[in-house]
Amino acid sequence: MTAPLFKYGLFGDEISLIVAFGIGIAFGFVLERAGFGNARVLAAQFYFRDLRVLKVMFTAIVTAMTGVYVLSRMGVVDLSLVYLTPTFLWPQIVGGLILGVGFVIGGYCPGTSCVSAATGRIDGIVYVLGMIFGLIGFAEIYPMVENFAHSSALGQITLSSLFKIPYGVLVFAVVVMAVVAFVGAEWAETKFGGKKPDADSLLAPAKTLAPSRLLAGGIVGLGVIAAVSGDPYRGPFARVDTRELALNAGTKADHISVDQLADWLVQGRNDFLLVDVREPAEFAAYHIPEAINVPLAALSPDIADRTERIVFYSDGSIHSAQAWLLLKSLGYSNAYMLFGGLEEWKDSILFPRLAADATPEQKAAFDKRAATAAHFGGAAQTGVAPATGTPTETPKLAPPPPPAGDGAAPAAVKKKKKEGC
Amino acid sequence: MTDSTDTSHAPRPHVNPYWAGFALGLVLLTSFVVMGRGLGASGAFSTAVATTVHAVAPAHAESNAFYAGYLGDGTTHPMKDWLVFEVLGVFVGGFLSGALANRLKFVVEKGPRIANGPRLAFAFVGGALMAIGAKFALGCTSGQALTGGALLNVGSWAFMMCVFGGAYALAWFLRRQWL
Repeated sequence: MTAPLFKYGLFGDEISLIVAFGIGIAFGFVLERAGFGNARVLAAQFYFRDLRVLKVMFTAIVTAMTGVYVLSRMGVVDLSLVYLTPTFLWPQIVGGLILGVGFVIGGYCPGTSCVSAATGRIDGIVYVLGMIFGLIGFAEIYPMVENFAHSSALGQITLSSLFKIPYGVLVFAVVVMAVVAFVGAEWAETKFGGKKPDADSLLAPAKTLAPSRLLAGGIVGLGVIAAVSGDPYRGPFARVDTRELALNAGTKADHISVDQLADWLVQGRNDFLLVDVREPAEFAAYHIPEAINVPLAALSPDIADRTERIVFYSDGSIHSAQAWLLLKSLGYSNAYMLFGGLEEWKDSILFPRLAADATPEQKAAFDKRAATAAHFGGAAQTGVAPATGTPTETPKLAPPPPPAGDGAAPAAVKKKKKEGC
Repeated sequence: MTDSTDTSHAPRPHVNPYWAGFALGLVLLTSFVVMGRGLGASGAFSTAVATTVHAVAPAHAESNAFYAGYLGDGTTHPMKDWLVFEVLGVFVGGFLSGALANRLKFVVEKGPRIANGPRLAFAFVGGALMAIGAKFALGCTSGQALTGGALLNVGSWAFMMCVFGGAYALAWFLRRQWL
């Protein structure tokens, strides 16, 4: 599973803009080819004269729908990483009605108006100006309508989970519905538009295997496969490569030592995400500088990019190991856990101890440790207990107060721009 | 598509709608696979408007929650946005296709029974309504109907039905503009 390519970190933001430009060119090209740069062609839809809008839109929908379904079931695409615009039912119903009214008045929708303006249609250019005017107007009334715009929120939800119908069955139903609508559209065009079905239409008089009939047959075929193939969403069930996990654990490739982490923090490296999986209260009492707090129960599949280096820690090792396993199974390739956890961090980094019978080498190493401890607000201890033998009593050392740089604004949830339209 | 040896300057006929739709579906599918997101249009205009207002009246734009949503956190320029670049591509792609099919022409598209002035007024009003509708719905025909339709998104399907509903409900009153 390596797609969506961008979400798996195959390329960065800069390249994504080039991709956007390329996809846009293809999008605009196809819209113009379809005749959608012409308001008369688009408006004919609403008088049953020429139902190109319905045919193009629904063919596109069923093509992309069956395509992404098949690729998900084959394990190529992780559908849960494809952005789904959240549903706000009433605003979307009202917005749809307003947009429909605007469509028949103006003759375009935003995408088609760009193509229309680019091919010199003056009404298309004026339409774009009207759209800009409308956006400025909407911004001014936004404070008044903001509550409504966020009402009846259902979250990111598919028809499959709303109606409890298997996703594949729904794919099949939509395909069948589309083909029935196409046949109905061709019939309406003959009746109201006085058009004769041409050779490459579903209702062509000749009983040949016209290309469009082959296309319809192919997509219905994929729909039938979908109906019996199950859910394309990976859902909460993940797959792990047990050999890889065992190898990681056996070679300690899954560990970051507290010394390594301290070095990274002292160097000010920002190429990793440090995640504290303890409860918020414990996090508030003390956390390692730069850490963000994501309690184990709140760990979600979209905590960060799949390729981000993530280091988990908890008090000991158990919770961070659980978080590590969870993320590994979700396809995060760069998850690590802090060996020994916060206990080890306190013992080795914050409050290192020098045994009374230490060798000169140990003493030299200890001086470095003492400096590191001071950096993190701890204090080195000398001659408290011998390195071997029974530890007498451990001094109750309170960790220093949490660093000023509050972890409440974690890097993973930094304010992102809207992904949708 | 017409024969490529056709050298006349008459506009070429439009492509068979099923094949245009199939191609459009493949573009959308490519976007899903490569980017993990669908197509869009209205969002790019929102970003452009927000950026312009921010340049003219920074305080006003920052205090408005709608504009602020399109300005990002200031770490990158707001126009360095996926949808903005995609829509720039739409203009280029539309122009290329129009040029190749002899369809580039400064003309007002309308029915025979309406003058240019009223038609342009309708276009302006329609565009303004469309923008408001798209902002309530969190997307337009591209971002909601097409993209969400293919992902079986609940809101997108409700939206799509209402677009057709709203348009058909008003079509009879506007027949002089188109027929």
